[in-house]
Amino acid sequence: MLTALHQIGQYFLLLNRVFKKPENLSLYWRQTLTEMVSLGLGSLGLIAIISFFMGAVVTLQTASNIDSPLIPDYAIGFATRQSFILELAPTMMCLILAGKIGSNIVSEIGTMRITEQIDAYEIMGVNSASYLILPKIVAALMIVPLIIIYSMFLGVLGGAVVSSYSDFSTMDKYLIGIRWKFTLFSIIYALIKTLFFAFIITSVPSFFGYYVRGGSLEIGKAATKSVVYSSIAILIINYILTELLLM
Amino acid sequence: MIEIKNISKSFGNHKVLEDVSHVFKQGEMNLIIGASGSGKSVLIKCIVGLHEIDEGSIEFDGRNFTQMGFMQRKSIRSEVGMLFQASALFNSLTVEDNILFPLQMYTKMTREEMLDRVNFCLNRVNLTNANFKYPAELSGGMQKRVGIARAIALNPKYLFCDEPNSGLDPRTGIVIDNLILEITREFQMTTIVVTHDMNSVMETGENILFLHQGKKWWMGNNIDILQTDNKELCEFVYASKIMQRFKNH
Repeated sequence: MLTALHQIGQYFLLLNRVFKKPENLSLYWRQTLTEMVSLGLGSLGLIAIISFFMGAVVTLQTASNIDSPLIPDYAIGFATRQSFILELAPTMMCLILAGKIGSNIVSEIGTMRITEQIDAYEIMGVNSASYLILPKIVAALMIVPLIIIYSMFLGVLGGAVVSSYSDFSTMDKYLIGIRWKFTLFSIIYALIKTLFFAFIITSVPSFFGYYVRGGSLEIGKAATKSVVYSSIAILIINYILTELLLM
Repeated sequence: MIEIKNISKSFGNHKVLEDVSHVFKQGEMNLIIGASGSGKSVLIKCIVGLHEIDEGSIEFDGRNFTQMGFMQRKSIRSEVGMLFQASALFNSLTVEDNILFPLQMYTKMTREEMLDRVNFCLNRVNLTNANFKYPAELSGGMQKRVGIARAIALNPKYLFCDEPNSGLDPRTGIVIDNLILEITREFQMTTIVVTHDMNSVMETGENILFLHQGKKWWMGNNIDILQTDNKELCEFVYASKIMQRFKNH
């Protein structure tokens, strides 16, 4: 318990260093653009495959579980849209990104720590915490919401493709379903959650990478820990935000 | 000149440095030597502020580093260059970008001026045609040269080298040592080198501090060290049987 509290305290102290005024804005901005490419473009393929097939499976599952004649066929499209926009795209995709991006960040910053590259930044008078972590957080805050919108689109598309060739519904009914009672707030709600998750999936692994001690084995352990803690944080924040925004 | 006064440092209950005082002179190769675990690397990291000291003070040309705040330390650090044991080059950057980094961060030079400076530094360490290589594509000796080039990019007043010839063959090690010595004299820097390599000590040791169990045990130069009768220092210098036989003769 004490160790956990100590780590939480250390995490917030690190964030305090991260949000100090940058030494050179143009260098930080260049680093942010690089991070946007590596965090964003590197994840597009994986997100596309997962979203498309998950959308298809959600559509199939919903169709196979609706056997009441009182429920209209377009409910399948509606259920797919709602589950994807409200939960699967923001929460599930961010959990997946927590694994993919998180382990990358831990290994990158952790390797810099054990090879003294972080010390080299410090000796040069560079705020290493800020220079290494702030661009990642800013890049994630900018790029992850776009990835989630892309995931929403592909998830709904996956459902549309399934409904176009299956016999449980038609494409027309599916399209009616995905437009039925649509409110923009659903997207805004998902994006608000995404911003919080984007912060978690970059800051938590950065913390574990920054304070790693030892060698490559410890980096592996830190990567595992970071994925576990990021996932738990995402699930807890997801619950709190859902209570606050939807209830 | 860097002066350390009564420095002590502990990690938990383990006292690594105890009451160490010394003056590191400008324009000279100041060597910190000692056996593994004697506190050499901790001392150099304390001096540059990577570790906070428990007691004592560190003065850079009369400026008390220990009492400085973050921003004041930052200004001192802009006068410091450091070569790390494993070079600590930024792996994802080319040689040129590694040396450009401090220039981009702290100077208002134009791109051309920065590239001129990079090439000057690389020429100074006798490394040419390596601008676009990545650190992983370089040999150990070349990595050290790039490390030195990056360390001198901002024309520092103080140069710190942590085991600059570790992992190098004796001949390359001597070349690197002599390069550091030449640069120290040329730019009149205060250079502190941590080493346990006797070739370095004999080749470049102008002002040597010998640490034993975290304490200042002996000081002198590379001539004095051959004539010393300090037991611990002799055990360090003449560690092998063949060297002991050489001493006895």
